[in-house]
Amino acid sequence: MEFDFTPVVTYFPTLLKGVGVGSLVAIAVALMSVVGGLVVAVISIYTKKVVSWPLRFFIWLFMTTPLLLQLYFLYFGLGEWILIPAIVVGILGLGFHYMAYNADIFIATIKSVSDGQYEASRSLGFGHWNTILYIIVPQAFIRSIPQLGNNMILMVKDTSVLSAIGVAELVYASQYAISVSFRPFEFFIVIALMYYVINILMELGQAWLERQTAYRR
Amino acid sequence: MDFDLMVEVTPLLIRAAWVTIDISSRAIFFGFFVACGLVFLQTFRFAPIRWFARGYISVIRGTPYFVQLLLVFYGGPSLGLRLDPITCGVVVGAFNIGAYMSEAIRGSIESVDKGQSEAARSLGFGKVQTMVSIVLPQAASLMIRSVGVLAIVLIKNSSLVSIISVVELTYQAQRLIGSTYKPLEIFTLSALMYIIIIYAVMGIIELAYRRATRYTTQ
Repeated sequence: MEFDFTPVVTYFPTLLKGVGVGSLVAIAVALMSVVGGLVVAVISIYTKKVVSWPLRFFIWLFMTTPLLLQLYFLYFGLGEWILIPAIVVGILGLGFHYMAYNADIFIATIKSVSDGQYEASRSLGFGHWNTILYIIVPQAFIRSIPQLGNNMILMVKDTSVLSAIGVAELVYASQYAISVSFRPFEFFIVIALMYYVINILMELGQAWLERQTAYRR
Repeated sequence: MDFDLMVEVTPLLIRAAWVTIDISSRAIFFGFFVACGLVFLQTFRFAPIRWFARGYISVIRGTPYFVQLLLVFYGGPSLGLRLDPITCGVVVGAFNIGAYMSEAIRGSIESVDKGQSEAARSLGFGKVQTMVSIVLPQAASLMIRSVGVLAIVLIKNSSLVSIISVVELTYQAQRLIGSTYKPLEIFTLSALMYIIIIYAVMGIIELAYRRATRYTTQ
């Protein structure tokens, strides 16, 4: 049992490139899932059942099945029609998954904004959609921040799963290096450490964001 | 929709679903003991033991389950730890969910009003007796729900075990999609099986919850 971290040092630039790709994916997914989740939540609360029920069905379906199964479905399902790069499939798959989770949060927080807010706004002359857009949604969004933060931390950890469909993030980037150096333990320890550092930074960021918005809740 | 194909692959998927149930239930079972151990370690006077438990929980929760699985399965042999894929899935699953579960258990115990245990102690109950017959019954309702959610997360995460070539539901689904080129049919069936498993677990949680709260008035 001897440890040799020299291959990890040699291939460190490759790992950093993997972190770069992973971060890119995470940022894209964060934008897609937060904006998409909000839109899905608003539509599924404020429209007729014909529109809202299919949306709720998709939220439910994405929340009750594993991410990896959804990724395989998208990867092979889309692959039948068009040839798109794995990274796009990865962003879409992870994006839809967390869109459902975020929508679930937004639905709860939008409903938690009191009806008096809506009534007051309408009586001041705001229209129905203007009230939703300018009065309800901003309050609901601020209230969602703690849970959204939790979801985004989970999401960053889940980017590692994308290596299963060939997205060149951290775990995938290490595959070649591991196969030539035969040092899986050293590489995975370093990868775990990198994720841990990113995770701690995100938790600090989340705590900061919560402090900044606490007075509005 | 190709229904003949769906009928044909159903037995294969059901067999794979049993592997998912098997791995998950064993991981949850052993994970519960890991969790209790971690909660117990955090009550020690001797600070380094508490730091160890806190550090363990923090590291497990701060790194992806996927990476933990790969580390133990591919990196384990260089530490002399050779596990077959299914055992590896169960062990990593148990140690992973244990960290999350210990937080859930600790949180639910701490949510019980401190006056309850103080009152019990002043009435002459021992420390253990206070815990077992006063605090735990009151913590149970919250504990069952939060541990239940974690169990469902673990069942969904058990799909990741497919990456170390355990033929469970997701692995079988991926293989069938690859060989039949019918993603929609296979996805529908395997999603249905996950949903059945998850709803069964939710039913069990609900029953346990009702039993734990049968004497409370609300």
